[in-house]
Amino acid sequence: MRQMYGSDETLSGEEKALVFRRTARMLAPRRRLIMLGAVCVVMQAASTLAGPAIVRYGIDNGVDADDLAALNQAALAFLVAVAGVYVFGRLTVLLVARVGEGFLRDLREKVFRHLMDLPLEFYDRNRTGSLVARMTADIDSLQELVSQGLSMFIVNLLVLLGAIVIMVAMSWQLALGVLFVVPVLVWASTWFRRESNKAYLQLRERVGGTLTSFQEGMSGVRVVQAFNQEDAFRRRFAETNEKQYKTNLHAETVTARYTTIIELAQGSAIAVILFYGGWLTGQDVITVGTLAAFVLYLQNLFEPIQQMSQLFNTIQAAGAALQKLYQLLDEPVTIDERPGAVDLPPIGTLDVDAVSFRYGDGPTVLDDVSISVAPGQRVALVGPTGAGKSTLAKLMVRFYDPVVGSVSYGGVDLRDATLHSLRQRIVVVPQEGFLFGGTIRDNILIAKPGATPEQVDEAVAALDLEPRFAAFAHGLDTEVHERGANLSAGERQLVSITRAALADPALVVLDEATSSLDPGTELIVEHALERLMEGRTVIVIAHRLSTAARADLVAVVNHGRLVEVGHHDDLVARGGEYAALFASWTGGARL
Amino acid sequence: MSTPEPHIRRGGWRLMREVSTREPRWIVLGVGCALGWTLAKIAIPLFALQAIDEGIDPYDREALLGWSIAIVAATIVVGVFTYFRRKSAFAISLRAEAELRRRLFDHLQRLHFAYHDRAQIGELMARVSTDAKQVQMLVVFIPIAGANFVMIVGVSVVLFALNAKLALVAMASLPVLLVIATKFSSILHPVAMGLQERLAGVSHVVEESLSGVRVVKGFGAEEVQNGRLATAADGVYERGMALARLRSIFNPLLEVLPMLSLVAVLYVGGREVIAGRLSVAELIAFNTYILMLIFPLRMTSFMVAQVSRAAASAQRVYEILATAPEIVERKDAQPLPEGPGEVRFEDVTFGYGAGPPILREFSLTIRPGESVALVGATGTGKSTVARLVPRFYDVDAGRVTLDGVDVRDLRLSDLRDAVGLVFEDTFLFTDTVRANIGFAEADATAEDVERAALLAGAHDFIDELGDGYDSMLGEHGYSLSGGQRQRVAIARAILADPQVLILDDATSSVDPTKEHEIRDALGEVMRDRTTIIIAHRPATIALADRVVLIDEGHVAAEGTHRELLATSAAYRTVLAQAEAHEAAS
Repeated sequence: MRQMYGSDETLSGEEKALVFRRTARMLAPRRRLIMLGAVCVVMQAASTLAGPAIVRYGIDNGVDADDLAALNQAALAFLVAVAGVYVFGRLTVLLVARVGEGFLRDLREKVFRHLMDLPLEFYDRNRTGSLVARMTADIDSLQELVSQGLSMFIVNLLVLLGAIVIMVAMSWQLALGVLFVVPVLVWASTWFRRESNKAYLQLRERVGGTLTSFQEGMSGVRVVQAFNQEDAFRRRFAETNEKQYKTNLHAETVTARYTTIIELAQGSAIAVILFYGGWLTGQDVITVGTLAAFVLYLQNLFEPIQQMSQLFNTIQAAGAALQKLYQLLDEPVTIDERPGAVDLPPIGTLDVDAVSFRYGDGPTVLDDVSISVAPGQRVALVGPTGAGKSTLAKLMVRFYDPVVGSVSYGGVDLRDATLHSLRQRIVVVPQEGFLFGGTIRDNILIAKPGATPEQVDEAVAALDLEPRFAAFAHGLDTEVHERGANLSAGERQLVSITRAALADPALVVLDEATSSLDPGTELIVEHALERLMEGRTVIVIAHRLSTAARADLVAVVNHGRLVEVGHHDDLVARGGEYAALFASWTGGARL
Repeated sequence: MSTPEPHIRRGGWRLMREVSTREPRWIVLGVGCALGWTLAKIAIPLFALQAIDEGIDPYDREALLGWSIAIVAATIVVGVFTYFRRKSAFAISLRAEAELRRRLFDHLQRLHFAYHDRAQIGELMARVSTDAKQVQMLVVFIPIAGANFVMIVGVSVVLFALNAKLALVAMASLPVLLVIATKFSSILHPVAMGLQERLAGVSHVVEESLSGVRVVKGFGAEEVQNGRLATAADGVYERGMALARLRSIFNPLLEVLPMLSLVAVLYVGGREVIAGRLSVAELIAFNTYILMLIFPLRMTSFMVAQVSRAAASAQRVYEILATAPEIVERKDAQPLPEGPGEVRFEDVTFGYGAGPPILREFSLTIRPGESVALVGATGTGKSTVARLVPRFYDVDAGRVTLDGVDVRDLRLSDLRDAVGLVFEDTFLFTDTVRANIGFAEADATAEDVERAALLAGAHDFIDELGDGYDSMLGEHGYSLSGGQRQRVAIARAILADPQVLILDDATSSVDPTKEHEIRDALGEVMRDRTTIIIAHRPATIALADRVVLIDEGHVAAEGTHRELLATSAAYRTVLAQAEAHEAAS
């Protein structure tokens, strides 16, 4: 959904200047094309404006003077002008597209690259939806401007101004009689822009309402039918539907009023020219040719003002969109590779040393936490929701940097390590398998883009998953639809685990699933995870007691502190927090 | 796109006619105003010509005044009629669009489960938004189409009357304009759609990269995604340029063709004037008329191009509307007898669509007030059994009865009122918590709703939401956890107070440590109520009076939970699976 459009989002003069300067800087490499385009624009406007003046010459010096040669000259000149309109019009469209589309392509790549570089902390602060809107709705509104309007806007402006100047120069008397329409048009167009903007904002909301209501009616159709609520839902939809109709009709009524004013103005202007102009001709104040030229120039007043009023919104929206995009580009990249960063050693101890952390200006989430995980050790992080165990895991893979203290691997502070080696040694398996578009194989290859098919097969084999993947219609080359809608949660998880296996890390951080998977794949997932963990250092955010019980070490996190560390049996025997947690878990239902 | 069958094609046109004639008064007004508008427009230059000939050249005050008044009147007519013409055009076409949306929604709400199992919501959304809009964009031409025709004919008549030779020359390029504009419109459309597709491609890459940013960063796959985006952006660039190339050919051409007419008028018309066969005033009138024709011609070409798009859209909508609901009430359907609530499956065989049968000669009787747990591995048909009771699907063979009456002989609304069902994936609507719970009972009091929520163990967390029971759920409101959603759904079913209650994995997302809180409530609800409960957790299964193990579409074993544990190996295996993933509870 487009987010910028409303009048509340118009830029101040200063902001406009900033956006303009920055855009000019970005366009600087395309200077030559832009200059060429400017020439074409001017030539196109000039050719358009030449037409009526030539007609005037033809009528006055040819027709009225009975001079066939002059008439022929005029017709020929007119033809040349027409050719000019075509040629320069064509070149303008092409040049503007070259510059504009190229600019947009660079902008898309630049903004996206920046988004990919931004730290996860940024993604915590911003909703994915609104970030997606930057890259889609905002840039698309620029696209609209480039492909439809920009060249037209400039040509129209030139034609409008040129027509006014020429009309006054030809006959100030008649011009006075005709140009009264200009303030009327400008006023009407301003009014229209304001009103239609309001109406369309409202309409957009209504359309959204109808679509939401429709979508709900469809996704909820089973519940609706089960509870016999079809009639209630039909009424509900009919109401939002009717609201959209009314709002839409209102928006079109605004346009109808505007068109009425335009038609009235146009009608009166023609009447004035023919009538008052005719009278002026009779008085020999103006020539017949001038009269004819005025009829034609009138066209050059109306079309530009109407089109420009439509484009004005688009241009304003584009300015606002650019500003938002520039703001996004100005977001600092905080998790970055230091100059002179070194590769992490292939194997080493993970040391969390006196780490404290908070998200932005939020409350302290981790408070002076220290833990050391030796190669090959399996550590379970347990604790109530919100205790800080997930945050601790995120610091271990440098999704965030600690505020105080340090996290190091094999003696190298993660902040001094190359990002490449970090992602190679340490890999996260999230709770839910996230799939991208493409095939299952593409999804696995995310972990190691250059991997050979054999390497992928090895990763699959290492997890004993060949039969499971072979069961898909096209095996590993099965297409994944809509983020894996055609795969069950368990199957998505299998892809995610295979991904980790292909990356072949020394350390795996595993976020255990809280909710149950489909019973069919549950056991296979568990087996695959077990294979993945073999021979690797493992840190698991445990939600199940059985997982904690199997770990070498259990680390209990509560209120941001590490309250207990030890083996399951010892901790249960100790009768501390872990023992209490254990009791509440087992206290539920038994067979 | 393949050519649709004739009856679909005819149906599409019929549908379009039906929905576009919903506002007959606006049609009359619109067509009338459009005609008036056209005639007034054609009249203005003629009046002016008369004014010059009769009033100015030999100066005649009376005639001049008369013609001035005529011109002013015509101008006012043009203005006022423009307003009504436009307004009625949209009143008619927006009504058609709204009517299509309404019919689609109504019909889809009535269509059977099996249809919705196959249908993709995205597709249906496209019908209701894009296709309805395409039809609107054609219907909007209703008032102006005839007027345009009159304009073209009328202007031609006037011009030919003034000077046939000049008219011929001046109008020669205009049919070309019509043809080129039509062609442009139909060539442009697919390319423009192509651009839209590429733009969608970009947004797809962006959306999944940002949603999956943790995975991307976790594997250091930023460059992979950058590469994909670059490819997508290149695609947009290439399509954008293709579109620009088309525009660069056609747009200037459309602008230049009427100018060629003006050149011809100057060249040929000038000669006619010199030869004394035409007055200068008439020459100027020619110019005015040529300009007047540009708009109707372009619009006509757009309309021609729109016809095929709108027809295709209408056909797609019609295809849905022509789908007959499979689950319909019999004409002689009987009201539900006031029975105790006995559910009986008699030799039921059923499969989804053309798929293999899920249930094979399945027989089971659930006594009034009894609670039965259905247990079995995934895909054995537990949920299917549940779905046949409220007649979401009809059996292929055998019958399902409620208090001795075949469910197919009952009034559908009676049946569904009597059977309450809580699904595994609960659906909550964008509305208040209260409205979601009271969804089936419009006249439920606040106390009723709260009592139901209390029973379902939902009261406490609802109380903690900002506005309690008036808190909005959904897109712009609170989002509840899976377990919370399920508890709201259970409250909904409790409030409906059905004779037969079906809980289809209705507590699966409730945190195991919290489930015991609602287990008591469930026990309360199930007491003296015929209940079918589908569950994986032993503690939940144990709530039922009787457990039925289903395997391969029929009853494999039955008894109490303890009996089956003791006697059935298959039962123990199924439970062991559940136990494996609920090891902590």
